[in-house]
Amino acid sequence: MDLAFQDLKRHKGRFIATIIGVGLLFTIVLAMNGLYRGNIADGTALIRSTNPDLWVVQRYRGGPFNEQSTLPEFYHYSVESVPGVEKASPFIYYTVERLVHRQSRHFSIVGYDVFGGLGGPKHIIAGRGIGQAHYEMVAHVKLGVQVGDRIPLGLHTYTVVGLTNDAVDGDGDPIVYLSLHDAQEVLYQPDNEEVRNERARLLQTLSGQSYLSPDQAKKLLGPLQPDTHIVNAILVQMKPGANRKEAAGMIEKWLYLNAYSTKDEVQLLLKGRLASISKQLLLFRVLLLLISVVIISLVVYTFTMEKIRSIAVMKLIGAPDWEIIRMVLEQSLLLTVSAFLIGQFIIHNTYSKFPRTVLLVPGDDLVTFIVALMGGVLASILGLWNALKTQPATALGE
Amino acid sequence: MEILRIEGLAKIFGSGELEVRALEDINLSVSKGELVALLGPSGSGKTTMLLCISLILEPTSGKIDFDGQTIFQKNGWAGVDMRRLRREKVGFIFQSHNLIPFLTARQNVLLPLNLIGIKGEKAENRARELLEYMEIAHRADALPALLSGGEQQRVAIARALANNAKLVLADEPTASLDTARGTKVMEILKKIARENQTAVIVVTHDVRMVNGFDHVYHLKDGRLNSQET
Repeated sequence: MDLAFQDLKRHKGRFIATIIGVGLLFTIVLAMNGLYRGNIADGTALIRSTNPDLWVVQRYRGGPFNEQSTLPEFYHYSVESVPGVEKASPFIYYTVERLVHRQSRHFSIVGYDVFGGLGGPKHIIAGRGIGQAHYEMVAHVKLGVQVGDRIPLGLHTYTVVGLTNDAVDGDGDPIVYLSLHDAQEVLYQPDNEEVRNERARLLQTLSGQSYLSPDQAKKLLGPLQPDTHIVNAILVQMKPGANRKEAAGMIEKWLYLNAYSTKDEVQLLLKGRLASISKQLLLFRVLLLLISVVIISLVVYTFTMEKIRSIAVMKLIGAPDWEIIRMVLEQSLLLTVSAFLIGQFIIHNTYSKFPRTVLLVPGDDLVTFIVALMGGVLASILGLWNALKTQPATALGE
Repeated sequence: MEILRIEGLAKIFGSGELEVRALEDINLSVSKGELVALLGPSGSGKTTMLLCISLILEPTSGKIDFDGQTIFQKNGWAGVDMRRLRREKVGFIFQSHNLIPFLTARQNVLLPLNLIGIKGEKAENRARELLEYMEIAHRADALPALLSGGEQQRVAIARALANNAKLVLADEPTASLDTARGTKVMEILKKIARENQTAVIVVTHDVRMVNGFDHVYHLKDGRLNSQET
């Protein structure tokens, strides 16, 4: 006869209410685990998916994802001339908020050399890749567009020619792939009114210079327009057998740029932009686990205190201590395990509905379960302590 | 055959000016099948004596022999596993029944059987027999809260008998019952003593309930000062 089970059977309502409550707490713990993993997976997804041999960025910068990096586009010719480098492609990446199907959507744009360059989508799951220099896009399925849809971005309208599910950006938002020059245009190209105003302001400034004639000032207008041939990184593919470290060293020494491997890029993000949010999520996980343990502890304590007279009777009729320990411990573990299973059931049936990626890893579930079990044992200590110090004499008298 | 023998038992609480002599020079002998009553008003030392006999409270001096074994002597407990002794040889009946509230009547009787290692069908059969003996088998699956006071006490007696106790200790077993039910419980205790040859010690303050007992002791100011047979 299992005393713990019999007791819980008589208090079904309270038991179920408790395991649902604690189960919901475990749901949040497991969701936090998933968000923690999802945060890292999303944050590094584009880096891992693009996966060049080297990321060449502005000197002393940890770009292009951890911080801003800007380079003139033509630098890729210099990088390509470094010994060991097979291919060097310009790459641009930025985040925008635009109307897509009349809804404001936050997403990131990747611009790359669509004619054999690096940095494009790896897997097209519908349609095709970008095949012309302008006005085509490949979008992540999360954007909610279909092949053939026409999406206005800046001055032009782009046709969705393909869908991918490769990677999302660091915020878990979808990525839109454009040709490099389209991406530069969307980012840098002002509208006509802005161009006219800018030209007028520049002309006024130049006209104020006594050493320039009006004709000379007008001629200077063109060359002085802001350059839009700017990229954020140059992606490098090495020749087979070439030494990546040597090439990186050469790029840094002679081209005054920084070169990182994909692993270095991931580390830059993990130690930089993703570090504080990861710590925050970790703290939440620990706090929620502690709260769960405290709640179980209080429930087990209450359950035990309600049984103090019964425990005294059991001691008086000769029940050994381990029988009483087993009863209290079993109740605590039954509560913990049931609540954990409820938490797991809920999160595994709802994780896809979270706005951010919730990446559930079996290892995390196992670790959380073990910690929860240990917590359950810890939680029963207070109840056990009271149970064991109960005097059998308590059963005598009224 | 002597089951319990107490010689010169004393229990003193506190010391110096705060010293309270709860029990003094208690001598008592209870044999198999004997029905003994301990009478006394509140504060007379009944509960202290019951706790000493129950092997819960350590006496200050004296000697206790139980079932041919010395349990306590002047040096203290004689290294016996008290809880084991209680679960194997002693049955308890309480004033407020003290059934485990989350167990049914049947499970309450099964509990001491399980504690001494009797499980499964054998335990079920024994529990059923005891409940039938106590004429409460028809309420076997009821929780204590759904039983009347008299029914609860009958289940409690069945539980006390489950381990084939050599000694049954009853602490005010009729205190929470009306006279008719109280008398019935006392009849049952007599029946147990006679039929099972179990030694029964009943602690009570109700003189009306002890008719037909083999020995009636009066406890006053910690002394067992009179005996009626």
